[in-house]
Amino acid sequence: MKTAPVPGAARSRPRPPRPWLRYLRHPGFTTGLVVLVVLAFVAVAAPVLAPYGPTEGDLMRTLAQPSATHLLGTDQYGRDVLSRLIWGTRISMQVALAVVVLSLSFGSILGAVAGYAGGWTERLLMMGNDILLAFPGFLLALALVAARGSSLENVILAVSIAYTPRVAAVMRSVVITIRPRPFIEASHAIGMTSFRVLWRHVLPNSLPPVIVVTTVSAATAILAEAGLSFLGLGVQPPTATWGNVISDGQGYITTNPGISLSAGLCISATVIALNLLGDGLRDTLDPQMRRYTSRML
Amino acid sequence: MRRLLLMGITVIGMVTVVFFLLRAIPGDPATYMLGDYATEEAVAALKADLGLDRPVHEQYLTFVGRALTGDMGNSVVTGQPAFQEVLSSLPWSAALATSGIVIAVLVGVPLGVLSAVRQGTFADLFVMLGALVGISFPVFWVGLVCILLFAHEIRLFPALGASSSEDLLTQLHHLALPALVLGFSVAAYIARLTRSAMLEVLGQDFVRVARAMGISETRIVYWLALRNALIPVLAVIGVTFAWSLGSAILVEAVFSRPGLGSMILKAVFARDYQLVQAGVFVLAFAVVLVNTTLDIVYGLVDPRVSVT
Amino acid sequence: MSAPDRPSPQKASGNPPVLELRGLHTVFSSDQGPISVVDHVSLEVSTGETLAVVGESGSGKTMTFLSVLGLLPPGGRVAGGEVRFQGYDLTTLPPAKLRALRGAEVSMVFQDPLTALNPVFTVGDQLVDVIRAHTGDSRRAAKDRAVALLERVHIPHPQRRVNAYPHQLSGGMRQRVLIAMAIALHPKLLIADEPTTALDVTVQAQILELLDELRAELGMGMVLITHDLGLVGTHADRVAVMYAGRVVETAPVASGFARSRHPYTRSLYRSIPRLDTPPEAQLAAIEGLPPDLARLPAGCAFEPRCYLGRGREDCRRQRPPLVLAGDDEHRSACLHWQRMSPEGSQA
Repeated sequence: MKTAPVPGAARSRPRPPRPWLRYLRHPGFTTGLVVLVVLAFVAVAAPVLAPYGPTEGDLMRTLAQPSATHLLGTDQYGRDVLSRLIWGTRISMQVALAVVVLSLSFGSILGAVAGYAGGWTERLLMMGNDILLAFPGFLLALALVAARGSSLENVILAVSIAYTPRVAAVMRSVVITIRPRPFIEASHAIGMTSFRVLWRHVLPNSLPPVIVVTTVSAATAILAEAGLSFLGLGVQPPTATWGNVISDGQGYITTNPGISLSAGLCISATVIALNLLGDGLRDTLDPQMRRYTSRML
Repeated sequence: MRRLLLMGITVIGMVTVVFFLLRAIPGDPATYMLGDYATEEAVAALKADLGLDRPVHEQYLTFVGRALTGDMGNSVVTGQPAFQEVLSSLPWSAALATSGIVIAVLVGVPLGVLSAVRQGTFADLFVMLGALVGISFPVFWVGLVCILLFAHEIRLFPALGASSSEDLLTQLHHLALPALVLGFSVAAYIARLTRSAMLEVLGQDFVRVARAMGISETRIVYWLALRNALIPVLAVIGVTFAWSLGSAILVEAVFSRPGLGSMILKAVFARDYQLVQAGVFVLAFAVVLVNTTLDIVYGLVDPRVSVT
Repeated sequence: MSAPDRPSPQKASGNPPVLELRGLHTVFSSDQGPISVVDHVSLEVSTGETLAVVGESGSGKTMTFLSVLGLLPPGGRVAGGEVRFQGYDLTTLPPAKLRALRGAEVSMVFQDPLTALNPVFTVGDQLVDVIRAHTGDSRRAAKDRAVALLERVHIPHPQRRVNAYPHQLSGGMRQRVLIAMAIALHPKLLIADEPTTALDVTVQAQILELLDELRAELGMGMVLITHDLGLVGTHADRVAVMYAGRVVETAPVASGFARSRHPYTRSLYRSIPRLDTPPEAQLAAIEGLPPDLARLPAGCAFEPRCYLGRGREDCRRQRPPLVLAGDDEHRSACLHWQRMSPEGSQA
C-alpha cells in the first residue's frame, strides 16, 4: 500500500536505469551496505589496524580500564580488547562468508532440483529437508560441533549443515512458482534440456529471494558462531572471536563491563547491517517474492 | 490420521538423523569419550557396552527400536537411564520456552498490528527499530546486559535464573528475567511478521469491500483483517518454538539455569554421548509435537485447510 | 472540459437524479507533483436508471466512483467539485457520516469476486456484519435476513449456503453473494465496477440480468463501470465515455449510441468484433498508447491518437469542452464533432 496504484501514472514514473539504483534509494539498505563494507575492510586490514596482536597479552596490565594505550581496556590476560575485536572481525566474516557459500550452493541446488523435478524426487527430498528443519538449527550445530570437536572448519560445517535446509525450502517454493510459467514451457518446447532450463531460466529468476535468504543466513551464521564461542564450543580460545571475548568478559561483567559489551555491540552491529540489507532487498522485491522470505528465521 | 502418520515418519527420520549425525562422523566415539589416555581394554569394553562393535545397520535398527520405546541408553557419567535424566530437566526448559513464547505473542502481535495500522508514523518506526534490535542482538548478550542492569545495578531480579526454593513465587521471580530476555527476541520476530502479514491483508480486496459496505475501521482492522493476518503468524509459531529452544540453551547458560540446554551442554563437555543423543532427540521431538499440534489448530482457524 | 461552475447536464429521464457529480476533481500525489486522475467530471444518475461508464483502464472511471464513496487509495484526494447525494455533498461529509451512508444508501460491487470476500469467514457472517453495521438487528435476525438475501440473488439452498466459506462457492456464486451484500440495506444507488470481467461468459449474462432485475425491483440508480462496450446497448440507459480522467461523451443509449459524436468512442466501437462485421474487414485497434496522465497535452488528450484531429492546431491548443452535440441529451467533447459522418460506426 506504500505506492498507490495510480492508473496511468505507473508509466509516468521514470524507470531507474539499473535495478541496483533502486536498492540504493532505500536508506536501510545503504546503511547496511556501508557498515558491511567497513567491516570487510576491517577484516582484511586487521594486521594493520589492530594496535596489538590478537593473543598478545601483557600480564602486568590485566583488566585495565580503557585508556589511551588500550582504548577498550584489557582482559584478564592483559590482552588489548580492541585488537581482539578487530581480529575477531576476521573470524566472523570468514564464518559468515563460508556458511553462505556452503549453505547457499547446497541449499539452492537441493531446493531447485526438488522443485523442478517434482513427483517422488521432490517428496523424498523435502521430507528429508523437513526432518532436518524440525531440529532447532542452533541445537543441530551444537550437536555437530560437540561430536566433531571445535575448530573453525567444524563450526563452519556445522552451521552450514544446520541452515542448508532453510535455504532449500525457500528455493523450492520459489522454483515451484516459476515452474508453470509460460517461458519455461516454451524453452522445453524448443528443445532445451532440463539442465539448461534450470540454469538459464530458473536460477536467475530465483536469485532475488535467494539473495534475501543469503543475508538472513549470514546473520544467523554470525549469531550461531558467537553463541557457540560463548558456550566454549566454537573456535577455541585463545583465538580472538567476538563470542570468545564476550565469554572472557562474562566473569568480569560487573567490574569491566566494557569487554563483553563492546564485543556484543560488534556482533549486533554486523547482524543489524545484514538484516537492514535483507529488509532493503525484500522491500524492493515484488510482493510475491516477499512472501517466501518473510517467514525465514 | 494422515498427520499422525507423517509425524511418525518425521520422528523416525529424526532418530535416523541423530544416529548418523553422531556416528557417521570420523573418529571413534568410544576413544573420544574416554579421552586420549584410555587403555585399549577400556575402549573395547565401552564399545561393546554401546554396541559399537556390531555392524552399522544392526546398530541402527537396535537404536531406532530402543529410541521408540524411550530407551536411549544410560548416561556414561551417572549411569542413570539417559531418557530419565532428560525428562527430569525437561520441565525447566519447557517453563522457560513456553513463558518466552507467551510473552513474545502477547507483546509481538499487538506491536506488529500497531505498526501496520500506523504505517509510516513515528510509532511504526520505533517498533520496527526495536524489532530490528531484537532479532539482531545475540540473545546471550542481551541476557548478560540484563543481568548487569536489572540484577546488579537496580537489583530488580535475581541474577540466577533458578532457585532451589519450592515457593512458586520465588521460582517465577527467578524465571522472569530469562523469560523476558528470550521473549524479547522472539517478540521482535513475531512483531515483524505480524506487521508484514497485516499490511498484506489490509491491502486486499475484501478489506476494500468491507469499507465500501460501511463497516467500521476498528472492526475491519481488529477483527476482519487480524483474523487473516494471524494465520501466517500461527504458522510460524512452530518455527519460533524450535528457535527459542535453541536460544534457551544460551539463555540457560547465561542465567545458570538448569534445563535441557544446560544438561546437553554439560553432557557435551563430559563427552556423555548417550545423554547428548537423548537430549537432542527429545528437543527435536518436542518441536515436532508442537508443530503437529499447530497444524491441527491451523486447520481450525483457516477454513481453507481441511483437518484430516 | 467542464469547469466546476458549469450547469449540470440535461436530465436523462423524468426521474430525479439520485447522484450528481459537479466538476469532480481527484488528484494523486506523485514524484512529479499532483496527477489529475479525475479531471472535472460532471455526471448524474437518476433513480431507476443505469448509467454505463465506459473507458480503457486508467481512464479514471473507477477512481471517479471511489472518490464518490470516499474510498480513494492512499495518496489520492478529492481536490475540488461536488458530489450531491441525498441532499449531502459527499466530498465534505464527515467520515463517520459517509461511512454510515456507504453500504446502506450507496453500495458498490467490485470486479473480482474471488478476492472480494474474506476467506476466513462464512458468507453468512459477512452478510450479518454488513447488516449489523447499519441496523440494530440481533445476530439472529440478521442471519435470517442474510438467508433471505441469498434467496433474493437466486442462490440455491440459501439455508445451507449461508454457512459456506467463500472458497466453497463458484465465482458466479460469490459475485451473487457480493451483490446480496450490496443490496442488503436497499441502497438508492448501486455502483457496479466491472462486475462481470472476472467471470465466465455464460455467468456474465446471468449476473447482469440479476443486476437489472434488482435495479427495477428496488428502484435503485445504477452505475455500470465497464470497458466492454458490448454490454452498454443491452444493460444501460445512458452512457458516459471517459478518456484520460475526463468525460468525452455522454449520450442516451436509445438515441443511438452507435451514432457517436466523438472520435474516441467511434474508435472504441470499431475495435469490438460484431456479428455484422464482414469477415474480411479488419478490426481497427486504436493507434498509439493511452496517454500519460502526468504529461497530458495542453489541448485535447486524444489528439495524438485521433483519426480526425491528429496534428490539427486547434485540437492541440484548445481543450475541447463538453457541449451539446445535436440532440438534446447528447454531449461531446470534440471540437470537430460536426465534421463526423452522422452514420457513425461503419465510417
